[in-house]
Amino acid sequence: MNGISVDINHLKKGEVNLGTSIMAVTFADGVILGADSRTTTGSYIANRVTDKLTQVNENIWCCRSGSAADTQAVADIVKYHLEMYTAQQGEQPTTKIAASLFQELCYNNKDALTAGIICAGYDKRSGGSVYSIPIGGSIHKQEYAIAGSGSTYIYGYCNKNFRPNMSKDETIDFMKKSLAQAIKWDGSSGGVIRMVILTKSGMERLVFYPHNYVDSE
Amino acid sequence: MAGLSFENYQRNQFLAAKGHGVPKATSTGTTIVGCKFKGGVVIAADTRATSGPIVADKNCEKLHRLSPKIWCAGAGTAADTEMVTALISSNLELHSMSTSRAPRVVTALTMLKQHLFKYQGHIGAYLIVAGVDPTGSHLFSVQAHGSTDIGFYQSLGSGSLAAMAVLESNWHEDLDKEGAMKLCSDAIQAGIWNDLGSGSNVDLCVMEVGKDAVLYRNHLTPNVREQKASSYKFARGTTAILKEDIFKLIDVEEETIHSEAMEVDA
Amino acid sequence: MAQTTVASEYSSEVHAEPIEHRFNPYSDNGGTILGIAGEDFAVLAGDTRQSEGYSIQSRSMSKVFDVGDNILMSANGFAADGDALVKAFQNQLKWYHFNHNKELSIHSAARLTQQLLYGKRFFPYYVHTILAGVDEEGKGAVYSFDPVGSYEREQCRAGGAAASLIMPFLDNQVNFKNQMDPSSNGTKKKELRYLSLQEVVNLVKDAFSSATERHINVGDALQIVIVTKDGARTEYHSLKKD
Repeated sequence: MNGISVDINHLKKGEVNLGTSIMAVTFADGVILGADSRTTTGSYIANRVTDKLTQVNENIWCCRSGSAADTQAVADIVKYHLEMYTAQQGEQPTTKIAASLFQELCYNNKDALTAGIICAGYDKRSGGSVYSIPIGGSIHKQEYAIAGSGSTYIYGYCNKNFRPNMSKDETIDFMKKSLAQAIKWDGSSGGVIRMVILTKSGMERLVFYPHNYVDSE
Repeated sequence: MAGLSFENYQRNQFLAAKGHGVPKATSTGTTIVGCKFKGGVVIAADTRATSGPIVADKNCEKLHRLSPKIWCAGAGTAADTEMVTALISSNLELHSMSTSRAPRVVTALTMLKQHLFKYQGHIGAYLIVAGVDPTGSHLFSVQAHGSTDIGFYQSLGSGSLAAMAVLESNWHEDLDKEGAMKLCSDAIQAGIWNDLGSGSNVDLCVMEVGKDAVLYRNHLTPNVREQKASSYKFARGTTAILKEDIFKLIDVEEETIHSEAMEVDA
Repeated sequence: MAQTTVASEYSSEVHAEPIEHRFNPYSDNGGTILGIAGEDFAVLAGDTRQSEGYSIQSRSMSKVFDVGDNILMSANGFAADGDALVKAFQNQLKWYHFNHNKELSIHSAARLTQQLLYGKRFFPYYVHTILAGVDEEGKGAVYSFDPVGSYEREQCRAGGAAASLIMPFLDNQVNFKNQMDPSSNGTKKKELRYLSLQEVVNLVKDAFSSATERHINVGDALQIVIVTKDGARTEYHSLKKD
């Protein structure tokens, strides 16, 4: 078959899957990460209030999609390296450094991992930034990123409605409406919408319950 | 070499491919639950262990102690839940001795998830980890592949759907200890009655902040066997005698010993 | 076969090998049945739990039937096939009455059952079948069948999920296997004798309550049907529900 054989269908029997809708968006003051909260094993919802937004450093977070075990392990390792970096360099790492760590782990272990990660953060050098690291271990710096099984439904919507340098409220509204559609059409996404806002003044967490986002567009 | 031995893996794959049966592990086709309350956390389990459709143990213990105030309930492969629990329990004790601090639930959880992730799901342990430590009371679950979840209530095992139905309908935020114990045992009973992989009794463990953990072994026993209709005592002489041999086991011999002064080396 | 997706150098070209999906027409609905013949009676008993996998479909599903002419029938295994076989039998029995205007004897019922089972030799009824009744001499009779119609008249037979748990118990308690006459001090075999109805019913109850203890597909309730020359009657007893 003269090609690279990649077994992308290797979620083992009974493995917990984050069939997900996740996104991260840069805006005027920084960046916002968003995710649904559904974890599934087959057709069973193993957790309906999952937190797929994981902190890896002071002002750097990630959105996880794919295998729950793989993405948690990768995030834990990145978190460890960033802690070591802070201790040794005496300064906070940039979002780019964190994203590169994710990328290296995902690329070097691509035959063992099912992990689609969006790394986003705020640092003084670059402000808010978003890096998408899809399954093979490539890295893409973007103004905004969407990923997970639910994201396929909102490529068009996001492409039409994203604008650079939106205000905080505009961005929240954009993400809420985008994720609402992803959750609506994707069976493996659902529950609440969680968000993390990263700006120079620190971080803020938001939760939107179904009655707050259903029919938001 | 440290770790598990995989030396028979290839041989077994070969045997299985040739149509030979693979050995069946005892699975705790189980219902286990956990639930937080105001001042602590409760975990509970049924007590049936199965091997295929056969009940291997009617009253097994699925509640394991990781440390005096951190307990976990195990589902999945019985041997794996027991061994992984014993290993982490040891390491937790060594860790707490070297740090001179009471062990924390997150520490146990991290050790478990890293160990299970390393074995990529081949160690079939599904655990609900709960306990109290200097940071408060905690409740987590770990899956065999190494992923973890956090929540106010958890259920795992083949009866987890039946149990979760009860938890989702009756859980509320201001449960007290008695309420949490009742909720957990109701959830386990849902598994006992409606899931064929679960049965027999309810074991329960309560961990309260500032108190010793209390294990209620066989908290409920709703499945006591009724009296049999007949007695099956065999009359003496029912067993066939195929051969009869009588051995003389003790031979008594008498010997007179002349008592002279013994020679002792100088 | 493990499914692999092969990506070529052109990253967008993805080719997946096909996986074969096939409908499985059979399933196992658990349950156990037991027939014992006495001197002038026979009993056919079965539990009333119907299950699939780890789920209970019914706690009160009868599977022992009085099919007419003092014949009891039970087909245990795949429930749909069991029902189909009993219906086919009852249908044939009706035609037998029309054509011959007489009762069907138990040994003829057994031969009919063989014909029905073998008629589906290459797509079998997935069941273990037991027939119970009273023969033309007035003696209790139990016939048991494999899924494709091989049969035998026996003193007792257990079928279904817990057959392997119950049968050794029956060998020992009905046919006195491995039992010597106590008065001979373990030198002479215990002589065979007919068991009384009470003894048989007690054996059936204990066999089922014991099977319930150790088999997950047995439980809920026990239906015992007793047949004599005067007709059939049914008893129900509860079993553990876990």
